[in-house]
Parts: sequence; C-alpha cells; structure tokens
Amino acid sequence: MKYSVKHTTLYEYDNYVSYCHNMATLKPREFQGQSLLSFQLNISPKPTEISERPDFFGNNITRFSIQGLHNKLEVTTISEMTRDYAGIRDSFFSYRCKNIGLKDAVEALNSNTPQKLETQPFVLESPLIRKVNDNIREYARVSFQGNRSVFDAAYELMERIYCDFDFVAGFTNVTTPISEAFEEKKGVCQDFAQIAIACVRTMGLPARYISGYIETIPPEGKEKLIGTDASHAWFAVYIPGFGWVDFDPTNNQLPADQHLVLAWGRDYYDVPPLKGVIYSNGKSKMTVAVDIQKIS
Amino acid sequence: MTLVKDSLLQNYMAGTTDEMMTSSMELKPGWDLLLKNLRNIGINELSSRQEDLNWHLAENGVTYNVYNDPQGLNRPWNLNLAPSIITSEEWYTIEKGIQQRAKLFDLIIKDLYGKRELITKGIVPLEVIYSHRGFLRQCDQIEYKTNKQLQIYAADLSRGPDGRIWVISDRTQAPSGMGYALENRLTMGRVLPDLFQGMNVKKISNFFQHFNNLLIESSPRNVDNPNIVVLTPGPLNETYFEHAYLASYLGYSLVQGNDLVVRDKQLWMKSLKGLKRIDVVLRRVDDMYVDPLELREDSHLGVPGLLEVVRNKNVAIVNPVGSRVLENPGLIPFMQGISKYFLNEPLILPQIASWWCGQAKERQYVLDHLPYLNVKRIDRAQTDNIFVGNQLTQSELDELAKQIMDRPYRFVAQERIAFSTTPTYVNGMLEPRNMVWRTFALAHKEKYSVMPGGLLRVGSDINDAAVSNQAGGLSKDIWIISDKEVAVPNISSLSPKTSISLSGLDDLPSLTAENLFWAGRYIGRTLTTARFLRMALKQISYSQVADRQLSSEYLKIIFRTITNLTSTFPGFVGKEEIKDPYQEILSVIFDKEREGSLSYTIQLFSNAYFSIRNLWSSDMWRVFGRIESIWKEAREDSDTSVRKVIQALDQLITRLIALMGLVEESILIEQGLLLYFIGLQLEQSMLNISKCRSLLVYELDEQIEYEVLEALLNSHESLNIYRHSYRSHIKLENVIELIILDMKYPRSLAYRLNRLMKDLKVLPHSKVSHELTNYEKLIFEAFSKLRLAEAKKLIATRDDSKIREDLDQLLAELSDLLFQTSLAVNNTYFSHTYQQNQLVAQNFKV
Repeated sequence: MKYSVKHTTLYEYDNYVSYCHNMATLKPREFQGQSLLSFQLNISPKPTEISERPDFFGNNITRFSIQGLHNKLEVTTISEMTRDYAGIRDSFFSYRCKNIGLKDAVEALNSNTPQKLETQPFVLESPLIRKVNDNIREYARVSFQGNRSVFDAAYELMERIYCDFDFVAGFTNVTTPISEAFEEKKGVCQDFAQIAIACVRTMGLPARYISGYIETIPPEGKEKLIGTDASHAWFAVYIPGFGWVDFDPTNNQLPADQHLVLAWGRDYYDVPPLKGVIYSNGKSKMTVAVDIQKIS
Repeated sequence: MTLVKDSLLQNYMAGTTDEMMTSSMELKPGWDLLLKNLRNIGINELSSRQEDLNWHLAENGVTYNVYNDPQGLNRPWNLNLAPSIITSEEWYTIEKGIQQRAKLFDLIIKDLYGKRELITKGIVPLEVIYSHRGFLRQCDQIEYKTNKQLQIYAADLSRGPDGRIWVISDRTQAPSGMGYALENRLTMGRVLPDLFQGMNVKKISNFFQHFNNLLIESSPRNVDNPNIVVLTPGPLNETYFEHAYLASYLGYSLVQGNDLVVRDKQLWMKSLKGLKRIDVVLRRVDDMYVDPLELREDSHLGVPGLLEVVRNKNVAIVNPVGSRVLENPGLIPFMQGISKYFLNEPLILPQIASWWCGQAKERQYVLDHLPYLNVKRIDRAQTDNIFVGNQLTQSELDELAKQIMDRPYRFVAQERIAFSTTPTYVNGMLEPRNMVWRTFALAHKEKYSVMPGGLLRVGSDINDAAVSNQAGGLSKDIWIISDKEVAVPNISSLSPKTSISLSGLDDLPSLTAENLFWAGRYIGRTLTTARFLRMALKQISYSQVADRQLSSEYLKIIFRTITNLTSTFPGFVGKEEIKDPYQEILSVIFDKEREGSLSYTIQLFSNAYFSIRNLWSSDMWRVFGRIESIWKEAREDSDTSVRKVIQALDQLITRLIALMGLVEESILIEQGLLLYFIGLQLEQSMLNISKCRSLLVYELDEQIEYEVLEALLNSHESLNIYRHSYRSHIKLENVIELIILDMKYPRSLAYRLNRLMKDLKVLPHSKVSHELTNYEKLIFEAFSKLRLAEAKKLIATRDDSKIREDLDQLLAELSDLLFQTSLAVNNTYFSHTYQQNQLVAQNFKV
C-alpha cells in the first residue's frame, strides 16, 4: 500500500514568543515492511536553523529554532510511504512465532547472546514506565502463566485491555502516570500501549512503544472526512527466535497496512512528535490534524 | 618511636586502623614531628588557634548550605586544626592509583557514549549502564575536541583494615570540594604557620594553575582568551560558596542558566552590552538539568538547546554532560575487568567490596547477608539513600529484599568496613574520628594531575561513622609530607594563555547587573526605612518623658508617614484608628511576614545582596554577617522597650552605612557598581519623595509644622546641615530648598537626580545615536521639572485649601517618572521578562 500522510500541528500563543527551540520526531523511519518515498517538512515561521540526526533508537530527529517574535507556530509534514506489512502480520500467527513459551523466552533472553543487547534495553524500566505496582503485575499475570505461548499471552493481554479500558480523550495527558490510567481504566492509545508495555516487562520480556498513525476507514457508503485520521500509538513484544510482534490494544488488532510507523522507543518519552522550549509569558493552544490518503 | 602520653593524647584510644598509630600503639612516620609542633604551640594556645580558624573562615564567609535547614542558609564551614598526614612514599602509590582510575573512567565514558564495546564484549553487564538514570541517551555519539572526555575526577578514599588506602566512591559529574580544600589550606597557613615547621608539606597551588589551564585549553575555539563561565544552580545550592569562590579565584563570570542562551548553534551570555559568545562552561549544575529541551523539561537551571551546541563542538562543558553514569557503584565489581581490558594492568588502589545484584549468585549472597551489608541504588549512591543493613528492622529488611528482587539490577551491596580514624582536636585533646578523604584529579597534558592533598571530612561525633557535610561533620586539611625540602612552585609552568583581561561593564552578565541594581535599591530602602522608624521611636520615647499624648496631632502625622513610606497599608492611614500605635510600629519593624516591614525589606536586601556574593570582599562578608546577626538578635529579643528597639536600629544603621562604604570601595564600576548606584539613587529618591509628600503637603499649625520639619530633617540626617546652612529657625521654604532643590547637597533630590542622569549615560548602548534612550528621557524630564520649581511657589496653598497643590503635583509627577525610569532600565537591560516555557506540558521527572 502507498500512502500520503499530512500531519499539521498548530500552536497559537496568547503572547508573542521571542524565541523557541524545538525537537520533532515526525519523519517516519524505515524498516522491513515500511519505506519512505518522500518527506517534506514545512515550518512557519521559517526556522533560523534546522538540523536532522538519528537518535539513540535509530529514529529521525529534527531540531529547529525560530528567532524573532511570533505568535503562531505551524509544523506540517507530508510523508509519502509504502507499507507492506500484511504478510509480516500473517507470519505472527505462524507456528514459529506462537511456539515460544514464556519460560523458554525468558531463558533465551538471559543467555548472553547478541540479541540480548538489542532487546534488554526494552526490559528495563524506562522514564515513564517504572516502579510498576503490584496491581499491574497481577493484571499481567492473568495472561502470562507457566510456559504459555508468549504470543498467545500478549494477544490475550491486548484483548483484555481493549475490553477492560474505555477510550476517553482528555482524561489523561502525556504526563499522567500509567498507574492512574490503570486504576481508572480510562485513557487514550498511548496509555493503553504503555500499560501493556508495563505488563509485558514485569514478565521479564522486552516491549517497545511505537508512535505512528492509523488510517481510519469510513463507514460503508460514506465519504472519508479530511482530518479524521490521528496520531496513534501501540506496542510490540519481542519473541526470542522470532522477532518483534506488533499489537494494537486500542483497536484490538495486529497492525497491518493501516498502521504507519513514525518512531519507536522505550515509551512516549523517547518519541514525542513535537516538543520545545519557548521564551514567552502566557498560554498556548494546540491543534493537530492528520490526514492519510491511500494513493494505491 | 614510643608514645608520650601527655594531656594532648591522654584519652587517645585508636580504632582498629588509625592514621597516627600502628596497631602496637606506636606513632607512624611524620606524626612525631606534627605532635611536637602541636605541643610547641601549647595546649592552651591551640584552643585559641582553633577559634582563630573558625573566625577566619567566618570572616571569609566560607559557608555551605543545607537544603531545608531550619538554621537557614550559610552554615559556617568547620575546619579542625589537626591535619592528617600521608607520607610521600605512600602518596606516590595513591597518586598513581588515582591517575589510573581517572584514565579508566575517561576510557569508560568514551566507550559508553561511543562504541559500547565494554557491553558488547561482555565486560560490563548492559543493565549496569542502561538502568542507571545518568546514562543519557541524548549524549550518544557526541564527540569532543579535547583529548580527554573526563576532565575532572574526584574519589572518596579511606583506609581499610589492611592498612591500605581504598576507593569508596567516584565523583565525576561536578565534583565539589576543591574550593574548600584550597580555602582550608590557605587558612591553615595563615593561622597555624608554626604547625608546618619542618614538615615539608606539598603545595596544592600548582593544581589550581593546572585547573585554569585545563579550562582555557578546553575551548573549542582557538583564541587566546576564551570566554569561560562557571554555571551554578544559584545561591540555594549546597556548595554555592565554592562556585562563587572558584569563579572569583579563577577570574571567570559566575552565571546561572538564565544568563545564557543558545542561538545559531552557539552558546551566548546575556550581558549588559548584548550577547557574548561563551567557549567553556565549568558546570556545577547536575547534567539532567542543563538542557530543558532535551533533558529534564522542568529544569530552570539550564539552557534550552545546550546539547546541540555541544554536538556541534561549539562549546566545551567541563565535565561533559552524561558523566553522571560513572558515579555508579554497579561498576565497582567490574573495574578489575575494565582495567585489564583497557590497560592490561590490575587496579592499583583496592576498592570497597561490592556485589551487583543483577547477577544471580551475587544477588543470592546479598539476600542471605542483608543485615551485614550496606545497600545502594546504582544511581543514587548519596549517603541519604544508603540502606544500612544493621539499622533496619526485620520488616524493613523484607521490604528491601522485595525491592531487590523486583529490580535487582538497580542495587549494589557493599561490605561494611571500619575505616581508619584520624586524630581530631576536640576540647584540648586529640580524639580518633572516622575519616573520608576526597581527592581531585584534572586532565593535564597526556596524564591526570592529582591534587597533593584534598578535603578530609571526619564524623561530627566520636561514634559517628557516617561522614558528611549535610550531617554536620568537620573538615580537615590533609598534608602530603616529605623528607626533602618542598620546591617552590615552578612559575614557568604557567600557560601563556593565562593572562585574564578584566571584563568590563559591557560583559557584565545581565542577571548580575539586575542583582546589583536591586541590591542598591533594597539597601537604600532598608536604610531610609530604618532611619525614619528610629526617628519615630525617638519621638515616642520623648513623648513618654515629656508627658505628651501619643495621639497628638504631630505624632499622627509621623505615624501616617510610616505607613506611607513602607506601604504597609492600611496601618495608620486606614479608616480605623489604631488603638496601640506602638504595637503597630513594632509589627512594621519586626514582622518579616508583613510586606513592606523593615524585616521584610532586610530579607529582600539579603537575598539580592547574597546573590552577588562572588563580588564581595572579606570585610563585606563580616559586616553583612553582623547585620544578619544583629537583626536576628533584635527580632528574638523579648525586651521590646522603645529604648531597646532604638538601640537595635542604631546598630543596624551603623552597619548598613559601613557596608555601603565597603561596597563602594570594593566593587569596581566595571564590575557593575554603576548598577548598584543607579538602584540606590533611584530608591532613595523615591522614598524621599514619598516622605515629603506625606509630611509636607498638608498645611499645619505653626508649632506642629515646626516639629514635623525637625523630624523630617532628623530622619534625613540633615538637621546639622540645615542649622549650619541657614542658621535660623526651621522654616518650610528652607527645608524644601535644602532637601529637594539644592544642587550641591548630596542628600537632596536634585543632587540625586543629577547623579542618576550622569550614571545612566554610562550604561552601554547598543546603538550610537544622538537621541536619548527612553530611560534617559524620563530622568531628564524629572530633573527638568525639579529645576524649574521654586520653593516659594511650592509652599503656597490656594484659596481655602489646606493642601499645597503645586508641591503635591510636582512630587507625584517625579514619583511617577522615577518609577517609569526604573521600569525602562529593567526592560532594557534585564531581559528576564520572558520566561522559559514548555511547548507542551511535559514535566517528566526522569
């Protein structure tokens, strides 16, 4: 599948901003199953300086600064990409993937192999997922038992989160601790992903946070509305001997072609789409619009 | 050497290991001479020398802060007169050991933020690094121009039961203590020169020369005089004294995050003249806090975008951001392996036995021996976070075991050791106290240069094994002694780049300028307020003797002026009459919670003044200390009689005047004294206007007016001048002439405004223009209005009105113009009106 994604973030400030420094994780990364055909980044007002570099996790980071008074900041990206993930998704259901049991997996991970270096960083606690409480641990244990298939357990965990939690926009924000979303059983995609990651990690298994987009499919017979697509987040579990397997607890499905990846990290902290420091007084208002067009 | 048991040593019961005594109670080498020197000084004299030491340190304002300390900021630094000694033979090994360790840590940090071979080759477990919160992924692959990445290294040492010096912990991110070590040595030399007799103590001054060279040579820009700043978290920090001390000793600007800004991939300091490029930052801010864009978002101690400047190699940070990961007891068990890997040699100095719980066997050992071990988190090794096994209850031990099982890789357990004791002078005798010795090393050419000495801390109590400043320990000097004469420091080793040009007013950090400005304003406010209150109290006192009613018309006017002058409304101008005027005045004097009160103003003054302490001279420290203690005593005194309060105000005023004199003679105009003057003149002018408006605008009965005028002249310290100049009965017209219009009298308003006009002209302008700046226009307008006024017209009233409208209008206009001038100076030079904010609220506590 070929997609064109337009992602616009607009900040409007009550007072003029004299200067700002920003960091964006908005350029999609490439890997097997996803490639980037073209990428445009438009920033208004025009940045005084801008540079790009890979981060620790191999994501593309753009850094820019704006000098001079402004009361509006608009960041627009247009990413053209192909996503060919359906085959990969199908392989998750294979015997080779499902066959790995929990005990075998932990054992395999603890042996000193090169894969440990790649995966162990995603077992350790991370900035936003740490000091995981016993309630979350118990919640995880319901699905992860004995030497059950890791895939089956993670699949069930995804289903349970989907059923047990309500999607409520505005109840949490990016700084809400996962324990709060967990106790209230409310949140948005990034809370669900992070709760799932916390659960998986309590079992000693690697889990990572994926930031991206999801294409919404309009109800049958209706025209798709512009801007109804959204930033999205889900998680992946590492199954030794197989590899990373994606799960989307918000939609209770294994991501295929409608899920487009921007970046991954240990949790949201590693991959915020846009952050910055401004020199100003007063408040700001943010609006985000994402529009995904299927080209072919 | 057999031991002479005299009064100095009568109770000396050395611990298992002692610096002075062998296990068979014989003196170790060098100590006989030190004891001889101590005895020669004499037991009685020693006590007085100890007092001298304390006095000298207090004189020089050597302090450290304890967060949330009920005793307030600025605890005096303690230095015990008995030094500890190390022979040069032993020092040789220790020095080699420290150099080796510094070199290893340099190689480790380069590896961790580079190829990470230590991890891929299995020499260090991944979790020891990756689960340490000081491992900053943002710093990955950053390259540096300097040969060494770790520029400063410090180690805490102690002597183990085997008699060797052991490494207890490593300090790598912003090691503190070298300033204290230097001040300790200088103070010892001043107070106890005779103690050094024949000891051949190695000098530590060379080390600071190397330090200076290190900073200069770190500059990524190849210029003769790179711009170097010392970045401090501010006056509340525990070791702020040292930041200010090092900045002033080395001659660099002391700045806070707010003073710096990143533009065009460069780091700049906001100075009065504008932006000035910075090449080297000596960092005393913890690394998580230095860049709120990439690191801790809630930090206001850093500079947004700083890391990108580092990435572009446009600034050197000493030590580099990310070096906290080396302060990691989890590394200790792997140091032998690391040393073998990098250097193919064993560690020279033994380390404290440590077990990292990320390994199954070690974890089991730790869990089995928990009550006998000390447990630390790998990234929180400070003393307040140590679990001391034998001090925990069973349930606390269980809880700890659970935490270890949960995240074993975060924990390290260490053997509990009885470290050596060293003789400490207490109440006329030497007492053995546990010691910790901090040593410092600096990158110097191809090697590391180690300070021959350091900072020794001993427990505050004979039974106290925990040694820390926070807990109120004592410090000591430590001497490396030699049989040979000590060579005079080699002057030719000084770097050719070390000549430091005195930075001018243009380069003054704008935060320092702002603090000086406010120091001037607040000291002016304190003095004017104190003088007026003293005058008012004298009137009360007089009225008690002369049997005059406190409610008399005259006193009411004075009291109202107190309220007006201090803005402690409603006070005496409120609708309700105050039943007990004296209580109200006491509140205006002492209630520090009350905005505008004298105590409140003194607090503002102290804060502003304290924040420029890097500019202070030692006399200023002393006088400032006196002001604080006088006022503390006065506030706590239960005797609030008029006489007693007047006495306190007298003392306060005398010291304030002394301090003002010292400020003027100790700080250069180029260092920012100009800003202080501008603040002072503005404040005094505004308060004088306020006083005159409150006292002179209403027409009064002749007798009352006379008394009011006398009071005004009195509070203005102008009564004698008046008598001398006019030789007459006090008349309103003359008073206005003298204290408002006189161009020659330094206390008059006209004189002050004229001076302000001149001073404001000297401030750096970014544009060359014949036009006046906005603040110059304002002050010029004020001055012109004043010059056009005539005393005769000002004192007139119109029709039946009892109000002198011309005077009132003039004073109101002047007051407004001065307020605007102050605002304009603020907006032009102190650009802190824009706050740093996060684009998205994301204050993660990482």
